[in-house]
Amino acid sequence: MRKKLAILLGAAGLLVAAAPMWAHHAFAAEFDAQKPVKLKGTVVKVEFINPHSWIHMDVKDADGKVTRWMVEGGSPNALFRRGVNKDALPQGTEIMVDGYQAKDGSNRANGRDITFADGKKLFVGGSNPDEQPNAK
Amino acid sequence: MSGKVLALAAVILAGTVAAQAPKNYTPPRTPDGQPDLQGVWTNITITPLERPADLAGKEFFTAAEARQYEKDTVERNNADRRDGGAQADLNRAYNDAWYDRGTRVVETLRTSLVIDPPDGRIPRKVQQGTPAVPPGLGRPPEGPEDRALTERCILWPTAGPPMMPSFYNNNYQIVQGPGYVTILVEMIHDVRIIPLDTRPHVDANVRQWMGDPRGHWEGNTLVVETTNFNDKTRFQRAGQNMHLVERFTRTAPDTITYEFTVDDPSAFTRPWTAQIPMKKTEGPIIEYACNEGNYSMEGMLAGARADEKKAAGK
Repeated sequence: MRKKLAILLGAAGLLVAAAPMWAHHAFAAEFDAQKPVKLKGTVVKVEFINPHSWIHMDVKDADGKVTRWMVEGGSPNALFRRGVNKDALPQGTEIMVDGYQAKDGSNRANGRDITFADGKKLFVGGSNPDEQPNAK
Repeated sequence: MSGKVLALAAVILAGTVAAQAPKNYTPPRTPDGQPDLQGVWTNITITPLERPADLAGKEFFTAAEARQYEKDTVERNNADRRDGGAQADLNRAYNDAWYDRGTRVVETLRTSLVIDPPDGRIPRKVQQGTPAVPPGLGRPPEGPEDRALTERCILWPTAGPPMMPSFYNNNYQIVQGPGYVTILVEMIHDVRIIPLDTRPHVDANVRQWMGDPRGHWEGNTLVVETTNFNDKTRFQRAGQNMHLVERFTRTAPDTITYEFTVDDPSAFTRPWTAQIPMKKTEGPIIEYACNEGNYSMEGMLAGARADEKKAAGK
């Protein structure tokens, strides 16, 4: 019992410690964990802006009706340092978005996992500035 | 016995690490004769501010332990993970490519950024029933003023002073001119302007987001003393009377050793000190025009209204 409590408290501590590691703002305040969405569509435009980027996309349903969605990403700064530029995601690119819809029911979602239509990652990391020869 | 061996090992290790930096390194000078700290620097690291409980008594990693810690931490932080349920999944926000929180521990192999007290922990004055900082509203946010400083693009808690690593934008540009040192902070777009003279601090009634700094040189070390903070930033629960001393020493061509000491008897039982290496990195600093694209504020307030409607309907 006591051990369970300790584990529980430990987990809570971890959550608190981990909390500042998340994004610029509380995504849970904006999006609904109970409303997961999977969107497949084409890029209309990308706003590489701060604090967070937004991808606008058109999603076609089974009847051919098109709905415009806005998908929230992160700050463009780290992406730019990795060589991503404004031409990285041209209009018309097919993408898939796995995320959570806005609490107010509008057609906004966070881009929890964004890939190209073939499942490949949209942006790939790999040049952290601390990956330099320290602490050999 | 084993404690002594460990301590000896730590001394040897510290000696080895220190030996990597050129001894008696003399930094270049600016045209007006100051030691030259200019350039773009990063304090990115995954070394924790405080020593985790499972590393108690261990001031330094061995090289092998450091590699294991780095591997475990990078895996734990990876935002591409989808485990832990819907709420945890949502809290991770977006793919890992957007983050830039580092993959390495500091080159000294210290297990915490806090170097004093020697246990690597902040000497907090723990008071029973101390409310959380900032205190919860106890109601849904009605306007931007009810949301966090970060979400309002006012000040990031790691932008400083003191300056600490965060999960992206860990970049700083130092520019020196006669009588002044300025530091451009990428997160979230602030400039610290530090006068190098003995003018008195502003009146005690004047409270500033980044405090009121004064700098002077002690040999090759820039010492910056900052007071007059406001009561809203609450660094590590300190109050507005926090007294901060930062020390910038260029210890190698590509390294500024940055140390800061925090004192506030209302929050801590004694002053404490942390050390973070700042490594030279490629520029430029990218402007973080936080307010210009802050659609999320509208989204969060709309979310609060949606929550209220949902609650009223029940």
